[in-house]
Amino acid sequence: MATLFDVVFSGNDTVFGLTEGAIDAAIAEHGADKAIAFPDTAYSLPCYYAVTGTKVGNLGELKTALGVVKTLMTREKRLNDVFMSGVATALCAEFIEVLKYMDGAAPYEAPCYGHLGDAIIRELGVPLVTGDIPGVAVIIGAAPTAQEGVDLVKSYQAQGILVTLVGGIIDQCAELGYKTGANVRVIPLGADITSVIHVVSVAVRAALIFGNVQPGDAAGLMEYTFKRVPAFVNAFAPLDPVIVACGAGAIALGFPVVTNDVDTLAAVHANVPKSLIGQADVSKFNATSLEARDIKIKITNIDIPVAFASAFEGEIIRRGDMQVEFDGSRVDCFELVLTKEASEIEDHKIEVIGPDIDEMPEGSKQSIAYIVEVAGKSMQSDFEPVFERKFHSYLNCVEGMMHTGQRDMIRIRVSKDTFNAGFRAKHIGEVLYAKVKSEFAAVVDKCQVKIITDAEQCTKLRHELATPMFDKRDERLLTLTDEGVDVYYSCIMCQAFSPSHVCVVTPERLGLCGAVSWLDAKATNELDPQGPCQIITKEKVIDERIGEYEDVNEAVRKFSQGALEDVSLYSIIEKPMTSCGCFECICGIEPLSNGVCIANREYAGMTPIGMTFPELASMTGGGVQTPGFMGHGKHFIASKKFMKAEGGIERIVWMPKDLKEQVADRLNATAKELYGIDNFCDMIADETVAEDPETLLAFLEEKGHPALSMEPMM
Amino acid sequence: MALKGLDIFKLSPKKNCKECGSPTCMAFSMKVAQGAADINACPYFSEDAKAQLSEATAPPMKTVKVGAGDAEYTLGGETVLERHEKTFVSKTRYASTLCNCMDEAAIDARLAEIPKVDYERIGERMIVEMIYVNYSAEGQYDYVELVKKAAALGRTLVLGVTDVEVAKAALAVCKDGKPVLNGATAENFKEMNAVATEAGVVLGVTGKDINELYDTVKALEDLGNKNLVIDTTGATVKETFANTVMVRKAAIKDNDRTFGYPSIVNLAKVAKGDAHLQAALASIFTIKYGSIVVFENLTYSEALPLYGLRQNIFTDPQKPMRVEPGIYPINGADENSICLTTVDFALTYFLVSGELERSGVPVNLIISDAGGLSVLTAWAAGKLSSGTIEKFWKEHDIEGKIKNRQLIIPGKVAVLKGEIEAKLPGWEIIIAPAEAVQLVKFLKDMQ
Amino acid sequence: MPFTAKSGKFNASIKAVTLGSGDKATTIGGENVLPFYTFDAPIEHAPKVGIEVTDFGMEHEPDCVKKYYEGCTTAADMVKKAVTFEGVDFVSFRMEGGDPNGANKSTEELIATLKEVAEAAGDMPLVVSGSKNAERDAELLSKAAEAVQGKNAIILAAREENYKTVGAAAGLAYSQIVGAESSVDINLAKQLNVLLSQLGVNPSNIAMNVGSASAGYGYEYVASTMQRIKAAALSQNDAQLQMPIITPVASETWGTKEATATEVDVPEWGDVESRGIDMEVETAAADLACGSNAVILKHPVSVATVSKLIKELV
Repeated sequence: MATLFDVVFSGNDTVFGLTEGAIDAAIAEHGADKAIAFPDTAYSLPCYYAVTGTKVGNLGELKTALGVVKTLMTREKRLNDVFMSGVATALCAEFIEVLKYMDGAAPYEAPCYGHLGDAIIRELGVPLVTGDIPGVAVIIGAAPTAQEGVDLVKSYQAQGILVTLVGGIIDQCAELGYKTGANVRVIPLGADITSVIHVVSVAVRAALIFGNVQPGDAAGLMEYTFKRVPAFVNAFAPLDPVIVACGAGAIALGFPVVTNDVDTLAAVHANVPKSLIGQADVSKFNATSLEARDIKIKITNIDIPVAFASAFEGEIIRRGDMQVEFDGSRVDCFELVLTKEASEIEDHKIEVIGPDIDEMPEGSKQSIAYIVEVAGKSMQSDFEPVFERKFHSYLNCVEGMMHTGQRDMIRIRVSKDTFNAGFRAKHIGEVLYAKVKSEFAAVVDKCQVKIITDAEQCTKLRHELATPMFDKRDERLLTLTDEGVDVYYSCIMCQAFSPSHVCVVTPERLGLCGAVSWLDAKATNELDPQGPCQIITKEKVIDERIGEYEDVNEAVRKFSQGALEDVSLYSIIEKPMTSCGCFECICGIEPLSNGVCIANREYAGMTPIGMTFPELASMTGGGVQTPGFMGHGKHFIASKKFMKAEGGIERIVWMPKDLKEQVADRLNATAKELYGIDNFCDMIADETVAEDPETLLAFLEEKGHPALSMEPMM
Repeated sequence: MALKGLDIFKLSPKKNCKECGSPTCMAFSMKVAQGAADINACPYFSEDAKAQLSEATAPPMKTVKVGAGDAEYTLGGETVLERHEKTFVSKTRYASTLCNCMDEAAIDARLAEIPKVDYERIGERMIVEMIYVNYSAEGQYDYVELVKKAAALGRTLVLGVTDVEVAKAALAVCKDGKPVLNGATAENFKEMNAVATEAGVVLGVTGKDINELYDTVKALEDLGNKNLVIDTTGATVKETFANTVMVRKAAIKDNDRTFGYPSIVNLAKVAKGDAHLQAALASIFTIKYGSIVVFENLTYSEALPLYGLRQNIFTDPQKPMRVEPGIYPINGADENSICLTTVDFALTYFLVSGELERSGVPVNLIISDAGGLSVLTAWAAGKLSSGTIEKFWKEHDIEGKIKNRQLIIPGKVAVLKGEIEAKLPGWEIIIAPAEAVQLVKFLKDMQ
Repeated sequence: MPFTAKSGKFNASIKAVTLGSGDKATTIGGENVLPFYTFDAPIEHAPKVGIEVTDFGMEHEPDCVKKYYEGCTTAADMVKKAVTFEGVDFVSFRMEGGDPNGANKSTEELIATLKEVAEAAGDMPLVVSGSKNAERDAELLSKAAEAVQGKNAIILAAREENYKTVGAAAGLAYSQIVGAESSVDINLAKQLNVLLSQLGVNPSNIAMNVGSASAGYGYEYVASTMQRIKAAALSQNDAQLQMPIITPVASETWGTKEATATEVDVPEWGDVESRGIDMEVETAAADLACGSNAVILKHPVSVATVSKLIKELV
């Protein structure tokens, strides 16, 4: 029984034989000095030139080149031999094709193009590099029916993919009157299988022109085509050995082959995962090919009957204008992102479970739950809440829709006008799908949305799926510690006005603006690897106590352009972290009480330090280290790492009342856990107690505040 | 390396007596570290501590005061080389030239010209702040007479004179105005020093090259005079730039305090007769270390961009420039014209008002108090919200002043629309595009 | 003890980028000192001055500029004359009419004008600027890069929104120099350079426009951005910021009220032409002092003045 090796080798041999015969015949007729060339290219025989670095100018040189090709045709039964024979087959095809152009002949006539000149490649190359052409489809042979063939072409065209056609599919397009041509990005190459080389030639020249690959650097060429030319092959049954051999060449360049000839594949025991794929159903060629080649289609428009723009973000839907309301405070509602396996997700599937909006009484309160399921090679469950937090802004951008809250405390209103314009439950899915796919393209490959309006199911899913999920995430946040992770992140979002400031964001110390947690920074880094959040390793400890690391210092030096030499993560006296100006709070030493006072931005009065928030801010901001003073986020106050080097939160002696109330629960919990102190916040003074150090001290003495008996800070 | 506030605090009396005017010793120490308070304001710092601190806190560059009354200016005192590191503290001051080599008509014309430049830009009065009165031995006009005429304009004078006797005579008629006596050379510095010290004025040091300048400054310091400025003007533009930069760099970066004095750059010497070249050079010396920049004749043409540039360069890098909140009618807007609001961040104001002007549409631009922050920053900091707008509307009686009830709000804070509608009943709130450049089309389309 | 100046020469340097391909090809960058610090080390390639002509030809020019182009009708006519002005190192053609919110001229029309201009410029190096509309420029500048093949022109500019298209066309397909435009922020400038490099553009074929403003109009951001970029490039040896800087000045300054307010409206301000020139030269001089390696001006007197300034300083 024939194996894949046999088929490829025999196909390769056949083509080689034909090529040799054709060259010999041409030499016999025209002589070895007869010039040969493709028109409008500076790259000779582009494929041969790219692989070998040698230009071929006449028949004699072509014959020599054929000898070189022969050396590729090794016959060990290893996959590499299959690939090399594939490449040899492709080069033979190029030789056969170039012979057609002898004497300035025009061997192809409309609609076929044959060889494509350099100018077209430069023109097509730009959108290929930018991703505006997300892929290149090479369709070979005739589809089972003309309609299926045309539908396939159309599906690619709709995605902006460049389609090239070889053989029977060209006739099928003509038969149904389907328009082809370079201007509509459907390019029929030629009837013979050898004409497929003209699209390979495009890929190869793209590598030379756009990838600056040097001719002769075959490995560099393969790497470029594999990484940068998102091409794939769709070959219709029946496959013959020549087509299979050409396919092997395609695979060698990194282009997967999808075929409906599953019988032949089975017969030859072909097993080249992700590269040679059987797909009996032609209507699934598109999805199969895109997944195999990892092509993502940009979502440019959102398919909803009303406008979508940030101008609608602040719209308020009043009760009288409201068609329906989903209210998480009264009935069970939630929004959730879940990470799934790619195989569990059908991209862009939007499912509505339960009654649609037009089946709900006007002005009624309803349940809703929407679950956005995503999959992607780089997707991490840590990103789920990051996506979720964006839902608020996405749904608010819909004209006539208002969204507040998050998780299972959401409330959504849809206006009558929007409903009358045809807005239904599935459109919520369209919005979420389109935004998640486009904004998180770096990590989301596939996405589907389930919208549940059935009250019972909402209740059930809320308790069985959503709540446990939220709990799990909270727990993860709580257990995320600085010691428990391998890397921290820099954040330089504020450098525009605070040039030398760098935040080091750790799990237990969020950015001082209060807006960037370690998970946010991590997601920002994954989504935008060149962006403001960069990975900082922390392998080389200098001083565990104050949290100083060689690698953190290096990073800070780099990101502050040398303005900042070294920082500690946990001390406000020794090399404290700098502040930009957007800090939520500032803490500063109050010497008399041997502790620190914290003032938040909203607090307008005097602090016992003798300075107001603006005064503190003026000396703490600007990316300058100010020992004894530090800007930070509100959440950091209850962190176990809060000025750990100086003894931690036990040092806090004063906070404005408002701030104290905001952080009391968590601060008390931390104090209990670390020092066994109950109701620690009661020992902390506020502006109602003291605005000067002496009164503060008296209060602290009365309360027996622990800071009084701690080691002196200075 | 400047001392940190905490280091100063350690040496402080820690009494919190408030006699210095600060509520606590900590607050006082932080102010001293910032340069915002003088350590001598505290009666209780020990002499030891003060000596220890004054050495460490002494600025790399002296602060020198010239002029008197309204025309008093502070020069020098810089601690950094580029403005993004820390605010440049003493603005470059600009001068026009008079010379006894000019004829009477030219002198009178120049005297009439100088007061012409007088306008306000973002809350600051812009004038030709100084007059450089040059003495030439060949000059026909009586120098003392010229100095008198110049002094009558009430601007700070810089006397460019190396003749000791002439200097003495000139100072006799103008020393109360605290002019700069720009006349010490390697040859006459002893005598000039005596004249300047006697008159109590700042002495300018000139030299044929940077080494001579250095030696002369050193010699003057040895004589006990630290009330100096250095005329860094060389024979060419190139040498002048080199001198000016090297002097400042030596003082601030390399801690060579001999060069820690303000500079005089005389463009009238190195770019004589080319007003546009003088304008270009003034720009460079505003950014790079000119304390007094001397033009032949400084008119509106040079002043308008230059004074704007100076405002830009001498701002606190952490604090954005602000414009005064209020109603700015644009393109002849009246009470019936549509309103558009944005923040008081100067850059935003200039961008938005520029685009509005370009549109030709009459608009009432309403600038509310947003702490000088840009739109998104102000919004994030709570300084631009429906509440702040409502408050501003009330405080400035917008509804009494404007009859139109359409308000365009920045596209970046579209999210505020509903809340503003609630807070300003009767107003139609319209969302502008996100970027100012799109305003022209937006306004034209609206019409 | 005599004064000893410490040298401020750096071990790193700005990349030297040559623009143009003919006899008049010119090089910017290459220095290893701060702007004009020739006392620290010689500056081989002095900053260069370009003159701007737009697709509107004479139509939008102020009278004081028009008079220098007497007898010209088209943009190409103007360029022929412009190359003869004193101090011109390169020609900058700006396709202002491409702005979809403005004249919205067709790409064909603009490219046809560009070709005439390129022809008229002869050997003089060329800078081609777009419409300021990122979306439109993606198409327009790609076509422009194709239209001036072989000119080694600066295509100004690729921005974050369109860098792939403009970068691929200018930097990869047609071997021009890619202008990288960011808005007054060192990190954005760096990010764009990184992105362009990743796209495959040779870092030695990039010139940055890090944003510009007129003197007095938020110029502090421009000053600090340029100064910080030069500091990072030279003292930190940050290769992703070592591209030379080219700054359009004319397109900023000639719209300010200092340059446009008529003598009738503000008689005390005096001659409007002189005001326009001073606004232009003062802004350009500030750009150069902060680190620009090339500036684009409009008024012939400004060009001559700034060119003289550079000769005096280098």
